[in-house]
Amino acid sequence: MNWKSLLRHETFLALLLVVVLIVLSFQSDRFFTVSNLLNQGRLMTEIGLIAIAMTFVIATGGIDLSVGSILGLTAILTGVFWQNVGLPLPVAAVAAIAVGTFAGFVNGLIITRFTVPPLIATLATLALYRGLAEGISQARSVRGYPDWFYVLGQGEVLGVPTQLWILAAAAIIASIILAYTRWGRTVYAIGSNEVASRFSGLSVEKTKLALYTASGFAAALAGVIFVSRVSTTRSDMGTGIELDAITAVVLGGTSIFGGRGTIAGTMIGLCLIQALKNGLSLAGVKGDGTIMLIGAVLILAILASNLFERSGTR
Amino acid sequence: MTAAPYVSLTGMSKSFVGVKALKDVSFDVRPGEVHALLGENGAGKSTLIKMMSGLYSPDAGTITIDGKEVRFASTRDASAAGIATVYQELLLFPELTVAENVFLGNYPRRPGGWIDWSEVRARTRALLDQLDTFDLDVDAKVLTLSVAQRQRVEIAKALSKDARILIMDEPTASLVESDVQRLMAVVRQLRERGVGIVYVSHRMPEIFALADRVTVLRDGGYVATRDIGEVDEAELVSMMVGRPIDSLFPKAEAAIGDTVLEVKNLNHGRHVQDLSFSLRRGEILGVAGLVGSGRTELALTLFGMTPATSGSISLEGRTVSITSPRQARDLGIAYVPEDRGQQGLVKQMAIRKNVSMASIERFSSGIFIKAGEEAQRALDAVKRLRVRCRNIAQPVGELSGGNQQKVVIAKWLETNPKVLILDEPTRGVDVGAKAEIHTIMGELVKQGVAILMISSELPEVLGMSDRILVISGGRLTGEIDRADATPERVGMAMTAHQSGEAA
Repeated sequence: MNWKSLLRHETFLALLLVVVLIVLSFQSDRFFTVSNLLNQGRLMTEIGLIAIAMTFVIATGGIDLSVGSILGLTAILTGVFWQNVGLPLPVAAVAAIAVGTFAGFVNGLIITRFTVPPLIATLATLALYRGLAEGISQARSVRGYPDWFYVLGQGEVLGVPTQLWILAAAAIIASIILAYTRWGRTVYAIGSNEVASRFSGLSVEKTKLALYTASGFAAALAGVIFVSRVSTTRSDMGTGIELDAITAVVLGGTSIFGGRGTIAGTMIGLCLIQALKNGLSLAGVKGDGTIMLIGAVLILAILASNLFERSGTR
Repeated sequence: MTAAPYVSLTGMSKSFVGVKALKDVSFDVRPGEVHALLGENGAGKSTLIKMMSGLYSPDAGTITIDGKEVRFASTRDASAAGIATVYQELLLFPELTVAENVFLGNYPRRPGGWIDWSEVRARTRALLDQLDTFDLDVDAKVLTLSVAQRQRVEIAKALSKDARILIMDEPTASLVESDVQRLMAVVRQLRERGVGIVYVSHRMPEIFALADRVTVLRDGGYVATRDIGEVDEAELVSMMVGRPIDSLFPKAEAAIGDTVLEVKNLNHGRHVQDLSFSLRRGEILGVAGLVGSGRTELALTLFGMTPATSGSISLEGRTVSITSPRQARDLGIAYVPEDRGQQGLVKQMAIRKNVSMASIERFSSGIFIKAGEEAQRALDAVKRLRVRCRNIAQPVGELSGGNQQKVVIAKWLETNPKVLILDEPTRGVDVGAKAEIHTIMGELVKQGVAILMISSELPEVLGMSDRILVISGGRLTGEIDRADATPERVGMAMTAHQSGEAA
């Protein structure tokens, strides 16, 4: 470790986050309180879970635009399986997650088997899965879930929102996989040079298939948590969430061309976005202003990291 | 006879982020001479050329044109001073025609600012005729031209700007032999007309055939400038590498053992037709053939990249079917590909990670990579194959061609292959590293590895192989033992036409 290794995107971003937190806490008394921060953690879990899987996908040079639709499909299926089909709620949720995971698997299959570019493949399934969700829901919403179900989205464990534990566990496991295992190594290799990876005997197709499946699973899990948090199910849930997740990933230093990126970066990017959203709204800035500022931060962060970063794959 | 130099560079130095690329180098070019610039990859030739053509500005040193000191702030300044460059990767616009490319940015105008197209075409025609290139249509789109023709267009473009000095960076690297002869005729003709030519090439025969003087660089430093009559090939090579090279092809005598690989009636598409051969332990089997003859396709089929459509492959007596590189690797077949940058290496990644890439399972317990063991194996490999690098964390892309190739070989040696396929193992590799790669091959066959070596370089095939397979049009046209192999025999088989092609 030398001083140069500290000059990387994640460090810069973490410093920026600290500055933002300090500035925002001066803007509003209500911002830097334990209850507000924990509540923000609750709000960012769904994007966070999706962003973790998205980090892997983007690090291979791919992208998954269909996650918002998979989230919506899973949400609606949870409600329909429970209320209309009559399955017990836990079984309904698991079945819905299985369908969401399968939707991710289908993405992977289209991308690897038929060599459709990920952008096109998942743009198509974005429309397909959302249409499916709307067709199934028939514009009805499902409410009245049993109280115990809300523990997941609205409850707390040891004083911390339940879903934040899930996010933390997912982040830790994912960063270990990406940094220390041969799966993680394969992800970086594919993202840096897919042809050479294939020529080195790495299982390029299997890895990609697994990643898009995992992305579907993350979106599906986020869908069930979403339902539990807002107490209701609608077919338009998760619309546009793919862009929030991609923003967090790219802000976190993952190269959109692949080969570079860390889970820590993604998590810091996620926190930064959430802090800006919440802090600025508490400080009385309108929603449009917040979005513009997030856009500006994204561009600045990328410019700054280009200045001192050449290779960040550890 | 010895005219005053048109351009001279004195005491040129240049550093890139703390690394000295060039230290105190002097170089000059006289009108009407061919001055060859020699050196291994990384010796500083490109840096010197780029300063002469205004692409880099020197940290120290002066450039004089006709005795007057000048400063090039851009390539435009250098071009105005009469210096033109034909780069190795040709910089033409494929969608434009020959004439449009030649005068691009500097079109003759008619009153009112309209481009005078008939003038553009007439002058392009005249320039090409001067280069004895009567067969090239000025209205043809550049993308339809061969590499040799494109090069001719580049030269015409340089002449259109009244170049006094023409820098040619490895002009013959991607040309076939007949085009090389034509290019050399063009160079001689330009010399007659008083153009000074800087000729960068690895190929000794060309240098002795063309150059009047030769300057050698090594590790960014100036070694010597000599008249070509004063030196011989061995002397130049030892000046380049800084030590004497004993022999160009150190053929190691290894005991040849049992058959490892037996291929029968192998087919894949048009380029692999009915190929049968066998390969034995400790043997180097050379594969010769023209570009497009199916040499690489044979390798890709054996490696499972383009699986065989029919025929049989057996390894150590066991019939196998190979449908993916992964499977080939597990069976003990390794392939060092032709295109190092695209297929062989992940350039952004560290040496350590590239070395372990094909055998990552062996460096893991469960799914976790054993970083310590990985680093140790990479260190051993770097030492054993004499890879010159800062450390094993250095990105492979920063290494020279020869050292990159050694990393690819190291990667495959980690899989303990029984059969090692080397596709153009020394292409784009400098003389010193080339001899080292040949030595490594010798050590491997002594350990019982069977090597299938594909090469475009006939001396390499003849020098290194125990036996030579010749392929033409996807079919085997010759199998020649080392003792009987002559350039003529192999050359004949390479151009042999298959009468049964249509069948």
